[in-house]
Amino acid sequence: MTAVIQATLNGIMMGSMYGLTALGLTLIFGVMKVINFAHGSLLMVGMFSAYWLIKLTGIHPYLALLIVPPVLYVFGYYLQDVVIKPVFKAERQTREPATVIIVTTGVWYVLDNLSLMLFGAEYRTVRTAISNKSMALGPYILSIPKFSGFVIAVLATIGLALFMRKTKIGMALRATALDREAANLMGIDQYKVYNIAFGLGTAIAGIAGCVLIPFYYVYPSVGVVFDIRAFIIVVLGGLGSIPGALLGGLVIGLIESVFSQFMASTWTEAIIYAIFLIILFVKPSGFFGNKQDW
Amino acid sequence: MKSHDKGSLLTCCLAAALGLVLAASPVLAADKAVKIGNVEPLSGPSASVGVQGKQAREMAVEEINAAGGIKSLGGAKLELVYADSKSDPTVGVTETERLINTEKVNLMTGCWNSAVTYPATQVAERYGIPFVVPVAVRDTITERGFKNVFRVAAKDSWWVRDQFRFLKDMQEETGTKLKTIAFVFENGDWGTGFAEKWRELAKKDGYEVVLDEPYPSTATDLTPVVTKLKSANPDIVMLVSNAADAILLTNTMAEMQVKPKVVLASGGGHADPKFLENTGDTAYGIFDEVEWNTDVNKPGAKETNAKFKKKYGYDLTGESVDAYASMYVIADALERAASTDPAKVREALASTKLSTGPAMIVSYDGVEFDKDGQNKNAGIVIVQVAKIDGKPQRVTVWPKSARRAGYTPVFPANK
Amino acid sequence: MSRKQLDTSLLGLAALIAFGLPLVVTSPTYLQILILLFFYAYLTTSWNLVGGFAGVLPLGHSVFVGIGAYTSTILTLQYGVSPWIGMLVGGLLAALVGVIIGLPTFRLRGAYFCLCTIAFAEGIRVMVENIDSLGPLKINGPRGLLIPLKEPSFWHYQFMSKLPYYYIILTLLILVLALTWFISRSKIGYYLAAGGEEPEAATALGVNVANCKLLAMALSCFFTALAGTFYAQLMLYFYPKGLMGLDLSFEIAFIALIGGRGTIAGPVIGALVLRPLNEFTRIYLSDMLPGLHLVIFGLILILVMLYKPQGLTAPLAAAYDKLARKITRAPNAKGAAA
Repeated sequence: MTAVIQATLNGIMMGSMYGLTALGLTLIFGVMKVINFAHGSLLMVGMFSAYWLIKLTGIHPYLALLIVPPVLYVFGYYLQDVVIKPVFKAERQTREPATVIIVTTGVWYVLDNLSLMLFGAEYRTVRTAISNKSMALGPYILSIPKFSGFVIAVLATIGLALFMRKTKIGMALRATALDREAANLMGIDQYKVYNIAFGLGTAIAGIAGCVLIPFYYVYPSVGVVFDIRAFIIVVLGGLGSIPGALLGGLVIGLIESVFSQFMASTWTEAIIYAIFLIILFVKPSGFFGNKQDW
Repeated sequence: MKSHDKGSLLTCCLAAALGLVLAASPVLAADKAVKIGNVEPLSGPSASVGVQGKQAREMAVEEINAAGGIKSLGGAKLELVYADSKSDPTVGVTETERLINTEKVNLMTGCWNSAVTYPATQVAERYGIPFVVPVAVRDTITERGFKNVFRVAAKDSWWVRDQFRFLKDMQEETGTKLKTIAFVFENGDWGTGFAEKWRELAKKDGYEVVLDEPYPSTATDLTPVVTKLKSANPDIVMLVSNAADAILLTNTMAEMQVKPKVVLASGGGHADPKFLENTGDTAYGIFDEVEWNTDVNKPGAKETNAKFKKKYGYDLTGESVDAYASMYVIADALERAASTDPAKVREALASTKLSTGPAMIVSYDGVEFDKDGQNKNAGIVIVQVAKIDGKPQRVTVWPKSARRAGYTPVFPANK
Repeated sequence: MSRKQLDTSLLGLAALIAFGLPLVVTSPTYLQILILLFFYAYLTTSWNLVGGFAGVLPLGHSVFVGIGAYTSTILTLQYGVSPWIGMLVGGLLAALVGVIIGLPTFRLRGAYFCLCTIAFAEGIRVMVENIDSLGPLKINGPRGLLIPLKEPSFWHYQFMSKLPYYYIILTLLILVLALTWFISRSKIGYYLAAGGEEPEAATALGVNVANCKLLAMALSCFFTALAGTFYAQLMLYFYPKGLMGLDLSFEIAFIALIGGRGTIAGPVIGALVLRPLNEFTRIYLSDMLPGLHLVIFGLILILVMLYKPQGLTAPLAAAYDKLARKITRAPNAKGAAA
């Protein structure tokens, strides 16, 4: 029983961070209606930024949270503006242009391999003040970097949800998400909104990078590992739904952690896919999805 | 559906045909160098080990050429031709074909991944080109009755055999009795291959297996596995891990305060030069099985490692030493063959008896191939990660004859 | 010469060149590259039956390649059945699995369909990696299956030279191209095209879009699986991560999109562009700086999509059209004068 409760605690902490890695993806899909296949690479960029920042300056990993996300925002903003926007313009009439998938995949190849050329293939971790620290909670052990990751993930999700509801930019994002043409008619610049959405999504990948770096390692193709999982999470939660990403992440985290107490952990992967498919067939919109998107 | 499809198809076919005809015109290779084709994972998930192997070969070839090349061939220089396998067998096979047919290499070497080496050696066998495999541990690579495949390193079953010998020897030496054992391994062909043999030997040696856990090597979190390990509470944990998961597993075990009496790893990720850097003091006490270690008591080992470290910035690993030694094995065979004819080189390789020279920084006594092309002498050492001068260091502890003077292994590592 | 004659004679010439190419290209290296080129063109053409004409974007087709390879190999290794028979069995099995997958997924649209096919493929791959034997069938988990060298013969589907492999895959490619051409001009093709673009409208007109899509899926999976057997016999070794992974599925979709999705020539043109690019950048650049070749590959993907989002077929076809009109008009004009 101890093991199951321990696994549950761990599943919640890891799951919330999986949710955080999927949050940017779901935001970008919600607004732009495309799957960003480069999302994992953006996460990699976030992790490398956090890595170098902490490694070179030695600052506390959570101070990096103030620096990395804004930098990543600018990066994402211009990446969308320069590389992806032209495709949208070329395929204005298509609701979900497949070409964007190819373009974002191209971005993924370029980013991953540029970092391979720059930093080499090796795995890097950085020792921080909180690495490998844990606290005891009765018979249970909580990893400190993971617990703070959990807190930050929840805060980021709430923050983004509030931003979308309370601010003017957030409302413009939501209007575009609901009806691109109508928003256009209301004087909202669709492409600027896309830039902002992509920038925000990238900034969230930056937050995730800062959260992961104290206990995880970074290497050029680290994003791929998180990518597929993020895809599953966003569909589970409902593509485009912000609370859905967190909930989807928690479901995946819990399955992974708790189920593997009863079977070989390689099987939990198969179970995740099975549950994903069942939900997709029973309720394609996921937990909080929009009917119009499927 | 679209009327002009057919037409565009044509244009393209024509253009491509023309291009290929031009590209395929015979390439003349007539320089005096002996070309050695080398397929390695230079990009993709195993790129870091691929690059290590590449650099070790480079250094060996530089040394051989600087010493006058192959004298019986009029001082011919060795020339390495690299190809990237991306750890993908299809690419490995295509590249092997290309190296043999287009680059006209005289010999082949590589490919680190067993999954790539297996079909690539088959290609070389078909063309009758000798293939020297430094490391790729799967048993069956040298068990297919091939004539042209030579493996320098030990194979799977020898690794596992020696792990259990080590456990037995150390228990006798220290008078401890360990009963329960857990297997934790990556679920690729390497890990599952090891686990299969572990089960047999654990049964034979009378251990009680309390956990037998494969995990996906792409796992983002190994806490579930470590939680399981904690409740199974074994005396011995046997590991097979790649680079990333070795780091994750070690750090997570420290975090979750899992302290088995003995942790015995199988090289790979645990032997990666970056492993200690990334785990710091959480790795103390871990035993690791490797082909080689920097403190190995062999003439020249220290100097070669110092030279390598100066050149590339990190220590030699077992795998790179095998790659390094393989170049000398090849040079030795070429010297005796006095020819680049594949059949003659093959004969020379088959009668290799190398026990002197720079290659002998390896941990074993020499290179001599059996009828299947497996190096009969290939052996392994077991090291322990210990705190020496405040820093984690890998110290050779087994076999006892190779143990670093003055070091007493901490066995069991956690009481 | 009329336009039709020109088209037919050029098509004949292309076929002739394709069949005669090995007379010129004797190096096994280039033959191997050509074989892989045709292999990818074949896979993408099979994919195109559903990915191009049915208007959805499946990203998990490698799973059918896997089904083909595993079925024929297990039948050969354990029961001594010729891979040729195993190939057909594998094809039927894949078609069945394809329909089972298609039934629920064709209800989904766009991104959902995409992600769903990825999940199916990955789920099946993970299962294969976890299963050592399924009843009497030895699957061998992540280690994959090895086909021992046998006496080279047609029946064993093993040959000493590359030539037979070349002709087998070329024949398969022509076969599936012909089928695509036939389907695109049949009622089913029109229904599919209608259903792909406007499923609601097509349904309203009484077209049974769902059945058409399922048929396309079954055919697509059947032919994809044949390529799996071919791959297994060519390489004599495969394992789940390499054969059933997402890399292969993605590459198929890239080739289609770069070439021109939903066109007959698209997959062939895509393969003609991407495969040599892939091979040659790797051969010449991977030694210099690891990763550079993939950066270039990624850049080219982006550039083609930016400038030719419909793929390369349309502009090439237009150019050919212009040229053909010139050629066909000139003799006609003379004929009129005389």
